[in-house]
Amino acid sequence: MKGPADMCTERVLVIGGGPAGLSAAQAVSDLGVDVTLVERRSFLGGTPIAENYASLTPFCQPAEEVVGSMVERLKSSERVEVVLDSEVSAFEGEPGAFVARVATPSGERELHCGSVILATGFQHFDPGRETQMYGYYEYPDVIALQDLEAMLKAGRVARPSNGEPPKRVCFVQCVGSRDRQIGNEYCSKVCCGVASKEAIEVREHLPDCEVFIFYIDMRMYGYWENQIYWPAQERHHIQYVKGIISEVLQKGDKLLVRGEDTTMGRPMETLMDMVVLSVGMEPSPGTRAMARVLGVAQNKYGFIESAHPPLDTVSTSRPGVFAAGAALGPADLEDCASGGGAAAARAVSAIRALAAAG
Amino acid sequence: MSADPVNVLLTKKRKFEREPDGRSIDFHERVFELEQAGEWTVHRVPEDHIEVETKYGNVKKIPRGHLWHHKSCGQCGHIPGYSTSIFWIMRKLGYDYEDPRDQTSCTAWNYYASATSNPAAQAAVALRNFAAAYETGFYPLIHCGTSYGHYKEVRSELLRHPDLRDEVRKVLAKLGKAMVMPEEIVHYSEWLHALRDEIAAVQVRDFSQIAVTVHPACHYYKLVEGDAIYDPDIYGGQRTAVVTGIAQALGADVRSYSTWFDCCGFGFRHILVQRDFTRSFATMRKIEVMKEEADPDVVLTHDTGCVTALDKSQFAARAHGHNVGVPVMSEAQFAALAMGAHPFKVCQLHWHSANYRPLLEKMGIDWQQAWAEFQQQLDKLENGGQQFVTWADVDA
Repeated sequence: MKGPADMCTERVLVIGGGPAGLSAAQAVSDLGVDVTLVERRSFLGGTPIAENYASLTPFCQPAEEVVGSMVERLKSSERVEVVLDSEVSAFEGEPGAFVARVATPSGERELHCGSVILATGFQHFDPGRETQMYGYYEYPDVIALQDLEAMLKAGRVARPSNGEPPKRVCFVQCVGSRDRQIGNEYCSKVCCGVASKEAIEVREHLPDCEVFIFYIDMRMYGYWENQIYWPAQERHHIQYVKGIISEVLQKGDKLLVRGEDTTMGRPMETLMDMVVLSVGMEPSPGTRAMARVLGVAQNKYGFIESAHPPLDTVSTSRPGVFAAGAALGPADLEDCASGGGAAAARAVSAIRALAAAG
Repeated sequence: MSADPVNVLLTKKRKFEREPDGRSIDFHERVFELEQAGEWTVHRVPEDHIEVETKYGNVKKIPRGHLWHHKSCGQCGHIPGYSTSIFWIMRKLGYDYEDPRDQTSCTAWNYYASATSNPAAQAAVALRNFAAAYETGFYPLIHCGTSYGHYKEVRSELLRHPDLRDEVRKVLAKLGKAMVMPEEIVHYSEWLHALRDEIAAVQVRDFSQIAVTVHPACHYYKLVEGDAIYDPDIYGGQRTAVVTGIAQALGADVRSYSTWFDCCGFGFRHILVQRDFTRSFATMRKIEVMKEEADPDVVLTHDTGCVTALDKSQFAARAHGHNVGVPVMSEAQFAALAMGAHPFKVCQLHWHSANYRPLLEKMGIDWQQAWAEFQQQLDKLENGGQQFVTWADVDA
């Protein structure tokens, strides 16, 4: 479709159908511009749906319900075309006249658009790469945040080794984040809040289960302090222990958690039934791949580089290509949703400016 | 999306697939750049080699044969069956090697025990030995875990510091030696690991009933840790694969225990100035925990200090009534026994302290007969019939 001046394609391409992509596509549509959303998976909703999140931080609403309502609203919008099971394989052109080749199940398709929003998101850090000895791949009862989310969603928190409900569970913070050795020096922002939320949910499911959180320092942004952190301690009796866990080992049918209690200034060993690793965020394979295909700069961690921070968070190094959500770096859902809206505004205004210029 | 989360999780955990990260920078490129710049000669791994994966996913080449044996001071002095077993296996598999007489100690003992020496001296000794190997045309194979780890640290320093390379160059010039850096620094346990299937193919003793615990050596996998061998099929790629890999290939029952990550207790400084600490740590933190949690028939490890500390500390703990008494040996001796080596003429287990005789019986070895054969051999030496034991004698 050509724009008013027959120069500019009045269509925005959104790549990625997670919360940021959904928010961006919705906003583009609401602004009266056609939008095509390309998603590599066979469903919309992104990581919260793919990884079976039970609920969203901080309000604990069911993830499927909240994200599902975004998806339904988008699908009912007239200006929105959703292309699933598809990936952008090539990209060329200028702002206002981009051409993306999209590999779809029914063959390759050429898609003309005036601007693009990258919302390809993150992936959870793989704890097998951790510097510390956490034994994720060795011990069934060492799990990650998203594994516990899936259990909570299924309504049954159980030790993978024997199916029994755990009596002692601990969370280990900053796994794959704030780690110079691995090269991830950044904080992943959400893990402290998500771990605290999950800790509360474990206590609600299993009132007799003792729950501990081992942390370097708790980073509860904004209102999360009062929404999650204090209730976790005061109402749900989660035990926060300042310290660094260095290794997790099998000891009989328990897990021996070893580390340093930095408040007491001494080494610490304690037995747990289940250990939850609070894994951080890394760029998704899609973010890395699309950065290459679209030719936009990435930062040293592989996330999309924001071209003009701090006040313009959505422009990339390539004019006409914008980014939103966790493709730009660790982000919570609020940031993803609002970033999607900001990217949509910029993507639409870029097209309209070109159209107006004739 | 709706499958049972525990099944999904357990399926996911079956295979760890490493992705490159900030630690995965491969040093080889820099080694060859310095050769291009005329700074040194790179001793290339022979064409007949096996490629294995290291901790962060880089490839390491392990040569099969034509090896220059960089021996270990402690092995030769305290556990001679250790190095003899390595030589014996190599001969049995038909690989040629050089047993040099002009190799020096790496001197890392000084460095780790008392912080004496200095970077230039340490690096000069390393490159002096590398040059000696290069002159023979044989590729260096390091027996000692400490030498191996230390040489890798030295390599890191040399790669980063031109001033250190200049200092070393001056020292080597006085010795009449060239600056040589091997393409890979290879430990003997890596060679055994890479050739484990070849070794298992000529195994003559059944080890399926032998319960094994493995003590991985700190100086093997904690120094320049990215260059140690890891395998996603062994411990899910979360612990080094050497030693365990060959024990499994030989059909042994490898058992885990909770203090596997801990030092053997040797500690270098501790064995010199706080020996009681070494004895306590080796037994109470390692051997007793293994006995309690895994009940092994034998402890396998792959470094000089580890074999000595774990083995020779047990007598003191036994005197205090502790639950000890597990034989300790290198995986080289274990593999040699699997291939049919003589327990005394080759593996020289009589140098070991903890009682190994029940283990030999479980392996199907008549240790009394073997000891009688060894005594006959000694008689020949005492009678002046022979000056030393030959390779022909050990297989007689």
